[in-house]
Amino acid sequence: MKKFLFHIAVICITIIGVLFLADYSYTEIYNNSKPRNKIALAYLGEAKKYDVIFLGSSRANNHFVPNIFIERGFKAYNYGMSGSRLEESALLLELLLEKGTKIKNLVVEVDLNINSNGYSEGTRILFYPFLRKSNTIRSYYKNIPEFDQLYYFPFYKYIKNDAKIGARELFFTATQKPSHNMELFGFSPLEKTGKKMQYDLSRYHPKRNKGYEKIKELCKIYNVNIIAVTTPMCENTKNIKYFDDVVKLYPEIYNLEDVITDESCFSSCGHMNEKGAKKFTLYLLNRFFK
Amino acid sequence: MFFNSTPFAIFLPIVFVLYWFVFNRNKTSQNSLLIIASYFFYACWDWRFLFLLLFSTGLDYITGLKMYQVQTISQKKFWFWLSISINLGFLGFFKYYNFFVSSFADFVRNFGLTPHYATLQIILPVGISFYTFHGLSYVIDIYKNRITPEKNIIDYSLFVSYFPLLVAGPIERATHLLPQVKIQRRFNFKQAKESVYQILWGLIKKVVIADSCAQYANAIFDDYENMNTFSLILGAVYFAFQIYGDFSGYSDIALGTSKLFGINLLKNFDYPYFSRDIAEFWRRWHISLSSWFKDYLYIPLGGSKGGVWIKVRNTFIIFLVSGFWHGSNWTFIVWGFLNALYFLPLLLSNKNKLNTENIGKLSLRAGVKVFLQIIATFLLTSFAWIFFRSRSLSEAFGYIKRMLLNMKFDLQYLNIERYNYELLVLLLFFIFVEWIHRYKKEPFTGKYSYTKVVIGILVLILFGVYTEYKSFIYFQF
Repeated sequence: MKKFLFHIAVICITIIGVLFLADYSYTEIYNNSKPRNKIALAYLGEAKKYDVIFLGSSRANNHFVPNIFIERGFKAYNYGMSGSRLEESALLLELLLEKGTKIKNLVVEVDLNINSNGYSEGTRILFYPFLRKSNTIRSYYKNIPEFDQLYYFPFYKYIKNDAKIGARELFFTATQKPSHNMELFGFSPLEKTGKKMQYDLSRYHPKRNKGYEKIKELCKIYNVNIIAVTTPMCENTKNIKYFDDVVKLYPEIYNLEDVITDESCFSSCGHMNEKGAKKFTLYLLNRFFK
Repeated sequence: MFFNSTPFAIFLPIVFVLYWFVFNRNKTSQNSLLIIASYFFYACWDWRFLFLLLFSTGLDYITGLKMYQVQTISQKKFWFWLSISINLGFLGFFKYYNFFVSSFADFVRNFGLTPHYATLQIILPVGISFYTFHGLSYVIDIYKNRITPEKNIIDYSLFVSYFPLLVAGPIERATHLLPQVKIQRRFNFKQAKESVYQILWGLIKKVVIADSCAQYANAIFDDYENMNTFSLILGAVYFAFQIYGDFSGYSDIALGTSKLFGINLLKNFDYPYFSRDIAEFWRRWHISLSSWFKDYLYIPLGGSKGGVWIKVRNTFIIFLVSGFWHGSNWTFIVWGFLNALYFLPLLLSNKNKLNTENIGKLSLRAGVKVFLQIIATFLLTSFAWIFFRSRSLSEAFGYIKRMLLNMKFDLQYLNIERYNYELLVLLLFFIFVEWIHRYKKEPFTGKYSYTKVVIGILVLILFGVYTEYKSFIYFQF
């Protein structure tokens, strides 16, 4: 039995050793490789000078075309992230600003994402590889229930979130596989044109949003001009009054929901296709950047 | 409490320590502890069904004794059929009631009638198919005078409720398990070490192979209408590896866990995807169920004795019942039927017992032949799995129709970033490891075992799917 217990002890030590080693290796690879997502780009990329950056959810990621700005001589990048909430956008902005990135204008999409004060698990995970190295990320997440496991338990963050930052993503990062998210200066175009589109916003009610407040606060500190906008929905949207309520709650937000109404410009009710995105970006450029 | 969960990782060492350090005086104390642990294990699933387990144990224990004590054949028959009907009655009620009622209603609707019927909102008790079959084999063996009934209620209770095999087998026989339960177990280092390796290998099969394949197979099966022929073939192949990794992984963990307590369970898998024909596949896949059906259904029906018609009839019966055993859905019955069809040519040409030996060293020519046979058997099996995986027959036929008619072979699905080639590489590596260790229970024993264990741990940690605990497929049966 002693022999067996010793054998088990050796296996347990091996497991612990592997966990520490794997955690260290993963963290080092993610922290020293070419960024494959916008969060890594914000944290690891060089401090740049932007005339305009875009923030928000997929309704920013799919709707703002930086190339149109670039063609007019602006330095622009779309940091919108599909599935993200403003909580993650705020942290991303903080990472950019604290390392010295100069941003003149920030266009932030604020509409459906202030229906609640929630967070996006899928996007939050992408910050975890930098948890040990970044004080900003650490202090941002120090109060989440899982923080101790994520921070102290070796490899927990990677094992628990293997679909996003596990072996597969590590391999792509290590081999510098290009990511579609990073092409076109962060803009992800949608191709298809939707049919019989509809959306129900009956249960949506805008609420004061901590993430948005944080973004405003950061813009004030770092002297960034903030342009908060709503973006278009398809015609067949129930309770479109929601967008008026957004403006009532935050009067500084520009309601651009009805700027694009042509159905051929939409891929789905909440997302414009590339044609719609180009039209909308052009409108934005002409209205705010003349 | 899944075998691949944290609660089990805590539960098992506690039971192990108590078993070998506190309750090790005699076999009664060892068995008592294992019974308590088994009931706790079962209660973790749903404590309300403990009564079923207790009832099933009590029923077979009493009827077994009665059959042995009574004087006349008719009395013996009475107790035998009482046990059989109650056992099957419970199984039928919990597992098949809704199926029969809705199938009957569908049938009646064909005649223009509108039946009013009620299905029941009942949860299937975990492991009911397994422990019912356990009890049935015990009662049948007593009835057939193969064994004498067990008088010790503690030993018998452990035979029925032993936790490593309680929820998904292997389906044990009284002749194999009871003699081991009736003696005090002594600790054996070599056996314990092997058991840890077998658990590790089972975990790798489940967490690395099955759960990775599950992501891909689910994505393809759930969206089969938009998949091309190549993707649909891949979907079937991924599911074939998912179910193999899942169930054989479970079995390895069950066997390894049991061996930690000095009890050997029946082997359930023997590298089935290296089978050269369907008959061999069924000798290597879910062996404890196949042999159960062979011994308690096929042979009593006449087996392969008698004319061609009897052979064919018995073959179809055994495969259809086997399909139906898996679940109350026509998909399982068609899956069984399809396997019977595959088996038929071998049976009729008396070639169903050709490949009974393991594949040894082969010349190049023989190797190519064997390789092609293995591939053909695997493809047939994977095709049948489509029915097993689909939620309904219409879904299965829709999947097959699109697979056969679409005829587009571009790497549609694999081009999407989330789904890529690395799983195929992982599967090829897994097949390679299984092939070179096909004579062993797991690949870790032998030369360089520590190095291999370290690699195994690395693979388990780095390539496992841990996003959530994935239940074992066979737990639903």
